[in-house]
Amino acid sequence: MMAERVVALATLLGGGLFLTQALALPFGVTERPGAGFFPALVAAFACVVGLVATARAFWPARRAAAARETVALAPEQRRRVVVSVVLLVVFCALLPWVGYPIVAFVFVALLLRRLGASWSGAVVTGVLSAAVSYYLFAVLLDVPLPRGPW
Amino acid sequence: MGPIEGLIYGFGVAITPANLLACFVGVVVGTIVGVLPGIGPVGAMALLLPSTFALHPATALIMLAGIYYGAMYGGSTTSILVNVPGEAGSVVTLLDGYQMTRKGRAGAALAVAAVGSFVAGTVGVIGIMFAASWLADVAVRFGPPEYFAITLGGMLLLSRLSSASLTHAFVLVAIGLAVGTIGMDPISALRRFTFGSVQLSQGVELVPVIMGLYGVAEVLALAEEGAVRAQIASVKLRELFPTREEWRRSAAPIARGSVVGFLTGLIPGPAAVLSTFVSYALEKRVSKTPEKFGTGMIEGVAGPEAANNGATAGAMVPLLSLGIPFSPATAILLGALVIHGLQPGPLMISQRPEIFWGFVASMYIGNFLLLILNLPLVGLFVSVLRLPQHVLATLVLLLCLVGAYSLSNSFLDLWILVVFGVFGYALRKLRVDPSPLVVALVLGPMMEKTLRQSLFLTRGSVVELVSRPLTAVILLSALAALAGPPLVRLLRRRARPAEAPAA
Repeated sequence: MMAERVVALATLLGGGLFLTQALALPFGVTERPGAGFFPALVAAFACVVGLVATARAFWPARRAAAARETVALAPEQRRRVVVSVVLLVVFCALLPWVGYPIVAFVFVALLLRRLGASWSGAVVTGVLSAAVSYYLFAVLLDVPLPRGPW
Repeated sequence: MGPIEGLIYGFGVAITPANLLACFVGVVVGTIVGVLPGIGPVGAMALLLPSTFALHPATALIMLAGIYYGAMYGGSTTSILVNVPGEAGSVVTLLDGYQMTRKGRAGAALAVAAVGSFVAGTVGVIGIMFAASWLADVAVRFGPPEYFAITLGGMLLLSRLSSASLTHAFVLVAIGLAVGTIGMDPISALRRFTFGSVQLSQGVELVPVIMGLYGVAEVLALAEEGAVRAQIASVKLRELFPTREEWRRSAAPIARGSVVGFLTGLIPGPAAVLSTFVSYALEKRVSKTPEKFGTGMIEGVAGPEAANNGATAGAMVPLLSLGIPFSPATAILLGALVIHGLQPGPLMISQRPEIFWGFVASMYIGNFLLLILNLPLVGLFVSVLRLPQHVLATLVLLLCLVGAYSLSNSFLDLWILVVFGVFGYALRKLRVDPSPLVVALVLGPMMEKTLRQSLFLTRGSVVELVSRPLTAVILLSALAALAGPPLVRLLRRRARPAEAPAA
């Protein structure tokens, strides 16, 4: 239920913001539409959809039906997902500075450990997966993966 | 070149060692991702797309398509043996497939599913040969207004079919269209919504978005469960032979499923999933014992399994003949062709026959390979389920990250992957299908270009644009599909109180 409302309000807000940005671009005329013509149409569509979604999410008759659609997570399940997302963000943030081999090792080892693997299993898999993926992508496929300061 | 000459020419292309190997790798990877619950064909195709950059475009297309239809074969194995759908197109199969396993008929269910998939795949390829060639001949005469109508109509239809709620689907379409406008304007080359970023001026890449929505989101869902191992029923080779009675009962459902699947595949929407539900409902309706469905009826396995393979073939028709993808999987195939400098459309069949006919011939070979690989090696494929889910989830996540970065060595793609991964996971939790977003992202730029060209051609007259015969038919059909069901519901609701006093 809460999610429905958040989605609806975010669409409305996002649509409004997008509309202001789109209207700042040259709109042109209908015979010769400008760069802002299509984005403005999309933004107007988003605003209308956002309005309808908001009305539906806050309309009392719709609440029961919407509430049935959400799936609750156990606290431990939620923690696993949150840790996975945090590690993904850390991976992206540290990759340019620390380099791929170290970041990949830390990412795999910590995630595996959090998902239930033993420390030894997590460390061994982390080392192997970082080494194999680095060799495969950086050496064999010539992808310039960041190596870090060392 | 007629269909028969084209096919002979295509076999000449498809049986080169590189293309045969690509087909083999594609169908094996497809079977494995089909067997593994949580890892779908779309995520796997997106993951492997960067590895096809160095290949010939026909070879790349053959391999990626092999993953797509191979996954339909593999998905049934998990549904039948583990009672968990390997991928979304096999959800219906578990209703009767797993019940057959409980009755000791797992082997027969697997064999009928594989043969049904093979028959439907073959029927589907014949359908592509004739339908795509015909549609391409017609589409040569299409102008920007017709293409605009097809993209708009397709998106409306997809929104109606892909999600339980039309509002959810429209929210996703709006997001997809908005993201599609980021970058250089296709006509004036003005930078839009780039906020000064040079990387964003190239637009948002499709692959990290798909990898996030399908790959990362699926892995996050697997991560919820932590360290678990699947309980798998074992099947011996000698058990893989259905009885004469089981074959007899499966023949008609396979035939019906093949046709239903192919036709459903032509319609914008989640064809593979939708076709299985349509086929299951059809089999139940024509059966003399509909009440026994769900208790291990072989018809409930044969029909849907044929249908999902027929649908994968049907979905190729709009892509190959019009250059318009109506599903995330075909959007990746389009992406693969565009990366290689090709623009699929009505002229591709005549100008690059080796791509079209090589691809069609490879589907015959791929379906045959899948049949001979799937039955004897079912034990081997099922053994991948013994790989701990948490290890698999972690390694797939790492591959998604490296794969997204390797597309254009851009850190921005990594962030796009993570953002859309989290968003895709949230959509899964809300039970919302993300395909309208992907299709809108792919079709958005095409829609904008054709709309602006059309308005230029009609001197700004929207009436002239929508009143051309074909655009009017397409748009009215899409509007009827969109407004039809709620209108029928409303009329029924109004009719009910009026009938009540009379009763």
